[in-house]
Amino acid sequence: MTATVLDKTDYDVLNVVALKKMASAPTIAEQSGLAEDDVETVLTGLVDQGLVVVAAGSALPTDAAEPALAAAAAHYYAQVRTDAGVVDLVERFETVNAQFLTTMSSWQQVDVGGRKVANDHSDSAYDDKVIGRLDKLVARLGPLLDALAGHDARFGAYPRRFAAAVRGIDEGRHELVSSPTQDSLHNVWFEFHEDLLRTLGRERTE
Amino acid sequence: MADVLAEGYNVFDTSKSPSGTIKYLASPADVIGLIQSGKLQEHILLVRGGTTTFLAPALSMGAIGVITMSGAPESHLGILSREFQTPCVMTAHLTGSDSRYVVGNTDEAHFVEIAKELDGKRVRLDCTDHEVGRVVADD
Repeated sequence: MTATVLDKTDYDVLNVVALKKMASAPTIAEQSGLAEDDVETVLTGLVDQGLVVVAAGSALPTDAAEPALAAAAAHYYAQVRTDAGVVDLVERFETVNAQFLTTMSSWQQVDVGGRKVANDHSDSAYDDKVIGRLDKLVARLGPLLDALAGHDARFGAYPRRFAAAVRGIDEGRHELVSSPTQDSLHNVWFEFHEDLLRTLGRERTE
Repeated sequence: MADVLAEGYNVFDTSKSPSGTIKYLASPADVIGLIQSGKLQEHILLVRGGTTTFLAPALSMGAIGVITMSGAPESHLGILSREFQTPCVMTAHLTGSDSRYVVGNTDEAHFVEIAKELDGKRVRLDCTDHEVGRVVADD
């Protein structure tokens, strides 16, 4: 445990590591907007503080990372947490999130005679319909992302990442819907959700 | 017939039937330790919830099978397990116990009982049924 609140740059880097669960310095640099050398320096400091370990060339958060992030988020985002506009939008997000997860599952599996089977993506009309639904759900995040970016510019990265994934999908790169190893819609959405919960000091529900 | 020790939601149908020793992972440190041990693929991973997000590195590093004690196949972990094609049984309950997971109303003893009963057991996952995933003793 760290006794003092994390420096904001430390927070931003550790937050990326915690959201991605394991992340290389170039990835952290890309996501945080910091130079790679600076990321390396910050990571060394985080390792010294016991907040990060480096394994297989990537940084992973230790058990101490979440409490340190939670304490820092309470400090840095106190104003966000009392912003009635944000709170109202977040309430609506929970519904959109449930719809997103269901829609993502329907991208992976189709219902055949009451039985869920893997979507082999041979029915382009079905796939297009699911992609259309996902597009609309992502668009519904817009006001919340804008409101959060008004408090911390790093939230502005999410619309850019969503837009890049949507553009790639429109170009036929359908792996950008749900691939866990790319900056897919599912990955970006998941990271945003976790980031949002941490920012607001809320717990994830089942 | 082999004993079915536990069963829960089958996240996706698969003929893959991984076997290994169940390892209960309670924290990110447990996941890091397992990855660093180089023995990730010897174990079926047992975690508490479908929202146990710290499991992601294990899945990307080649985990062979997952059991959760709560959560739904539509959750983040369910989506990930289908993407990685890692067989996964969610909200597993012990066949020898009446205790069941209920959202928002499950006491600690439920999770403790499952972890205590399954951790260290040699098992195989049977994920061929379209609804029920089974944890089978593999002696």
